[in-house]
Amino acid sequence: MKKLLLIHGIFLSIFLLYLYDYHFRESSSSPLSQEEEGLRGEISEKYVMVTFQAGIDYWKMPLKGFEDAAHALNVSVEYRGAAQYDVHEQITVLEQVIAKKPAGIAISAINPDKLTPTINKAIDAGIPVILFDADAPSSRGDAFVGTNNYNAGLTAAHKMADLLGSKGKVAIVTLPNQLNHQERTKGFLETITKEYPEMEIVAIKDGKGDQLFSRQMVVDILREHPDLAGIFATESNGGVGIANAVQSVKTHKKIKIISFDTDKRTLDMVKEGTISATLAQGTWKMGYWSLQFLFHLNHKLNPSSEEGVSDATLLPPYMDTGITVVTKENVENYYAK
Amino acid sequence: MMKVKEIKSFKMNNFPIRYKLIILLLLISIFPSVGLGFLTGWTVDRIIERQVTQNTLQLIGQVNKTLEFYFSNIQNAGYLISFNPELKKFLYEKKGELDFSKDDHYNIRKFLQGFTNLYPEVAGILVINSNGQYISNEMYARSSKNLTEETWYKEAVKNEGIFKIIGHPVNRNVTSHVHYKDNEVVSVVRAILDPDTQEVKGVILIDLKLRVVAEATKDARLGKTGYLMVIDDYGENIYSPTKPFIDEIPNHWLENSDSGAFSKRINGSKLQFIYRKSSFTGWTTVGVFSTEESATEVKEIHFYVIIFVFLVCLLGITASYYLAYSMSRPIGQLMSFMQKAESGDLGIRYEGERKDEIGMLGRSFNKMLTQINKLIVLTELQEHQKREAELRSLQAHIKPHFLYNTLDTIHWMARKKGAEDVAELVESLSRLFRIGLSKGNDIIPFMEEMEHIRSYLNIQKARYKDKLNYTLNLSSDVRDVNVLKLVLQPIVENAIYHGIKERRGPGHILIESEEKKGYLVIRVTDDGAGIPAEILDMLKRKLKNAFDTEENNAEAKNLGYGMMNVQARIKLTFGDDYGLTIDSEKGKGTMVTILLPIMREKSKSMET
Repeated sequence: MKKLLLIHGIFLSIFLLYLYDYHFRESSSSPLSQEEEGLRGEISEKYVMVTFQAGIDYWKMPLKGFEDAAHALNVSVEYRGAAQYDVHEQITVLEQVIAKKPAGIAISAINPDKLTPTINKAIDAGIPVILFDADAPSSRGDAFVGTNNYNAGLTAAHKMADLLGSKGKVAIVTLPNQLNHQERTKGFLETITKEYPEMEIVAIKDGKGDQLFSRQMVVDILREHPDLAGIFATESNGGVGIANAVQSVKTHKKIKIISFDTDKRTLDMVKEGTISATLAQGTWKMGYWSLQFLFHLNHKLNPSSEEGVSDATLLPPYMDTGITVVTKENVENYYAK
Repeated sequence: MMKVKEIKSFKMNNFPIRYKLIILLLLISIFPSVGLGFLTGWTVDRIIERQVTQNTLQLIGQVNKTLEFYFSNIQNAGYLISFNPELKKFLYEKKGELDFSKDDHYNIRKFLQGFTNLYPEVAGILVINSNGQYISNEMYARSSKNLTEETWYKEAVKNEGIFKIIGHPVNRNVTSHVHYKDNEVVSVVRAILDPDTQEVKGVILIDLKLRVVAEATKDARLGKTGYLMVIDDYGENIYSPTKPFIDEIPNHWLENSDSGAFSKRINGSKLQFIYRKSSFTGWTTVGVFSTEESATEVKEIHFYVIIFVFLVCLLGITASYYLAYSMSRPIGQLMSFMQKAESGDLGIRYEGERKDEIGMLGRSFNKMLTQINKLIVLTELQEHQKREAELRSLQAHIKPHFLYNTLDTIHWMARKKGAEDVAELVESLSRLFRIGLSKGNDIIPFMEEMEHIRSYLNIQKARYKDKLNYTLNLSSDVRDVNVLKLVLQPIVENAIYHGIKERRGPGHILIESEEKKGYLVIRVTDDGAGIPAEILDMLKRKLKNAFDTEENNAEAKNLGYGMMNVQARIKLTFGDDYGLTIDSEKGKGTMVTILLPIMREKSKSMET
């Protein structure tokens, strides 16, 4: 009996040793561990960026920002958008995206009101939605990341006044249906009328975001107001079109043009002097922070909720990505390195 | 060899049956389970390894398919672009000719924009004609250097209109407006040939975002830490994760085969590589994971196997111990019974209700003992009967009555003829015989014993005349006791032959008896020659161990044989408390004292 107990004892102790060893080896982490510090998502999380006129160069910077953030957070992204400047197409695209149940949607609203029900639908489906570049204020989107467009208009107005010596006729080529353009126009218009009494806004035209269409618009305005001193384009394709129009008519070469955004052609024209100044938006930041915001919303990373402050929202409802005036002097900084 | 074997089997046979049983049970319970455990572990090892390789290959195949899908899209786009009539115009444009308008330029840009609209994974498209003029929405030359000098252009020309993946662009004089770095894109080129002259008219350069490749490969995770990486024809990394186990896989590891698996030890840990090459892209997707990780699952299975083996061992040892015990215990019991029986206890019996062989053995043992007992009784009975038969035959030969009658006849004839002394002698002899035989009884009344000795002395007196005198002195309280017969005669005979006969002049023998302390004490005293001291010592010693045959040598045998016989008979009949003692002095005489129990029942012995 004693012998048997002894044998059992020996067996048990060997077994316990083995268990200990097993447990120890299990718990000691492998030196090859891929675990990384900080915020890490899953590659299966798909965040979608939805735009309109999806092919234009303007979206390439936000998309780059979106992709860079995705790389940093180890998630995947998808880019969708209406091919045309068409509200209904964007609604259709958004509906399709919602149907796929992505981890989050960053959308630039073509129209501040018409997209609201669809955006709300996404929110109801539990998909975080961040609006970037162009807001839809009446929707229940979680936040807006973009330029303070009123300020941009205001900055453009001051720059215009500076260029023209605070007097003369000025025209605006814009996209009247889009909130960001409306605000830019508003900021520009209000500043001019309030602060520069010698200046006058003679026309506000729809350039449809197209180079040729805008060019045609400017040709029309010039026919009406041959003494036009400056044109403010709220969007870059329009700016290029305007510059082309102004260049083609030799008498109008002194017309000052303030454009928007920093695509290659605009920058080239700024360099040439065809366009006097352009307003650089933080487009990369828009994409980057949109994804960061979406990631935080999707992962419910709300430190304040741990402290019992349940109604505290994590994100700032509005993030200003800033604006810079690009002129001949600093245009080199905006070229790709 | 034979010797060794013999020794072994010999040793094996020497083990107790219990150990043999334990060993047997352990052999048939534990060894198979341990073997099974190891076999299971080994098989699982192999199966898992094979499974892992297969699964990984499948995964890699899927990733390759995804990548192929993207690249076939890009390829299609490349062809589509080359079909555009305005683009054709641009490509066929001769240097210095100006029929290519700004509108055409715009239209081409618009057309190219459509592709980036359709394929968001495209980072940029650039079309260049053989003059070095280019159109692109996203990309432009860093310097005014002619782009046709670039390696990618030459590569495209070399491939003669066939779609070619160059990998990450290196030191390219082309930059992207959207800041895509060289390691964030993969370049694809295709030369556009004039179908008639086979002359290179231009090249389409498409940058694909690496993100697509990364997402496709990252999506496939191998275990916890394993990953996939993509390398191109030249062994350069197209994609590898941020923290790779190994920075670069040398080309020669892949051994020029399209798919396979190998393992290498890198930085002290063993890595498993599984790869498959896509013939379309020319890229090899390599799965890299630590073998230790796949071993954790195997380890888990091993863990359960070991628990199983351990439990089996524990149970097996306990069970075999108790089984062996329960099997060997009855054998041991039986053995101890047999040992007791061997040492003389034939009354022992095996008790047990078992129906098995042990029980049967026990019962056989019991039967055997009964048989032995019976035989012993039988033998004793036979011995007894034999002796009795011998006695009877002796008696039949001698016919004591015939002897007495004859002696009586001699007695009366002597009387008649006036020979009184002869008559008396014959009478004494007759009495001597009668009492000596006394119908075979061992115990006789003391008076008869005295009568017997008197007759004996009478006969001796007739021989020795005046040289022999005797006195019988009996105390009255011992007249009615019984004694063992013929205890006195050998003593008196000794006294006559060794005492009286050896002395000068007449001697005297005194026989007295009395009851003392519950003993019947009979003393035979003579005033004969006495016994020399050394012989007396020997005698005394012999009397002490009457049964000891050791000193029964020839010399001692003669010494007091009659006395020894008496001593033995007394001790056998009454026990060690009784017997003879002797005392003597040279020249003075000898005294022998006999101690006997008082037996007063006159019953049987007296009557018979």
